[in-house]
Amino acid sequence: MAKKKETYNEAINQLREIVSEIEGGELDVDILSEKVTEASRLVKVCKEKLFKADKEVQKILENLA
Amino acid sequence: MERKEYSLFELNGLVKQSIRRSFPATCWIRAEMSDVRVNASSGHCYLEFIEKHPISGQLLAKARASIWSNTYRTLAPYFEQSTGQRLTSGIKVLVNVSVEFHELYGFSLTVLDIDPAYTLGDMVRRRMEIVKQLKEEGIYTLNKELTLTDLPQRIAIITSPVAAGYEDFMMQLTHNKRGYQFYTKLYPSIMQGDQTEAQVIKALDRIYLSVDKFDAVVIIRGGGATSDLNSFDSYALAANCAQFPLPIITGIGHERDDTVIDLVAHTRAKTPTAVAEFLVECISRADEMLITLQQQCSETTQALLQAHQNTLQQLTMHIPTWSQRLLEKQQATLQSLGQRLPNIVQGLLNEKQKELTNTLYQMQTYATRQLEQEKAELQLTEQFIRMASPTYLLQKGYTLTVQQGKIIKQAADVVVGATLVTHFADGTVSSKATAIQKKDSIK
Repeated sequence: MAKKKETYNEAINQLREIVSEIEGGELDVDILSEKVTEASRLVKVCKEKLFKADKEVQKILENLA
Repeated sequence: MERKEYSLFELNGLVKQSIRRSFPATCWIRAEMSDVRVNASSGHCYLEFIEKHPISGQLLAKARASIWSNTYRTLAPYFEQSTGQRLTSGIKVLVNVSVEFHELYGFSLTVLDIDPAYTLGDMVRRRMEIVKQLKEEGIYTLNKELTLTDLPQRIAIITSPVAAGYEDFMMQLTHNKRGYQFYTKLYPSIMQGDQTEAQVIKALDRIYLSVDKFDAVVIIRGGGATSDLNSFDSYALAANCAQFPLPIITGIGHERDDTVIDLVAHTRAKTPTAVAEFLVECISRADEMLITLQQQCSETTQALLQAHQNTLQQLTMHIPTWSQRLLEKQQATLQSLGQRLPNIVQGLLNEKQKELTNTLYQMQTYATRQLEQEKAELQLTEQFIRMASPTYLLQKGYTLTVQQGKIIKQAADVVVGATLVTHFADGTVSSKATAIQKKDSIK
């Protein structure tokens, strides 16, 4: 992905924002679908951080002094 | 005087007897153990008791000592069990000894019993001193005040690579039931004996070089009760940990009280496995929060869609009735309009009629009044003109005096001797001015 991946905390905060926007209830339907896709993308980003091994981090730690 | 001579053996024998006489029984002494060695085959423990100057640390006294295997076999476990500390160099003890002097082996002490409370007391006192110093320097809570990130995945591990602790920790961490991802890096260090302090600090320094690559530092050591603690009750190590910029989690594998490093660390766990469990728990909390967020997201979306659907439904349901009602209303207005139309029109006509006659009447009265006014005005002007004409004045008796063809209005204009022509209603008279009297001189 061209955009630098959000850090875990950034993703979580954005997710919270979306939830509160939806909870607000004024969101009209077509933006809703956009928000929901964004939310699921953010969830995927967070899940990856939790579960998927990040080769880069592993490499960094391995060749530390 | 006869010179007394002894052989060395005799001398030592005498010394032996006098010592035995002055120390008939055993006695309790406080000392620091050093150079502790246990002979594997015989099971005997050989050591040295020393005493250092409390302030300068200068050596004041020293004595060889031994704990025969039959005593050592029960004394060592008893001591370890009650203090969680192995009999090693560097710890202060209160021991019951018998004072021995052997012609060949010289002076030595044989340890027969030990009072662990003293050592515990000393350990606690030492620990408190270190804590006091750390507090005075204001660094005691620094590590505790650091915030551990929600996702402590990158862990620097300080432990001995061979001890059980490391394996247990890694097992627990990498095979956590939820499959969370961790990234670890081992910084090997001796975790026992007097090397510990220097080695752990060296490891901390190495980690410090890549401090931004880690989320936390873990200092772990397995081995349960057999491990000794005093190496972790060290000011240098505690100060280092207290000021370390990453949260430190300790798991030095003992049930009893905390060492100073436990007290300054961000988090203290009992064993390496407990530390791993703590880390896994942090990640699972973050995971759970993510799941709840996900649920919230779908629930709120559901609710919103539901709400929209409901409004939509209501709308569709109501449309026929509303439109029906609207139509009826329109018809009703139409009808009522239709009925009222004729008399509205009639009303309008009458109104217009009235208006018309009204204006007509107004016109007439206005016109006649206008005429009247004109006539009156005319009469007035006529009268005015008539009165203003000289003949009317003359008839009234007024005369008109003309001098050289010009009407004279003031006595001052008359020239004495000039002929004046006075006009009367019935004719004119010419005369000569004889004298002029001014109005005021007449008064």
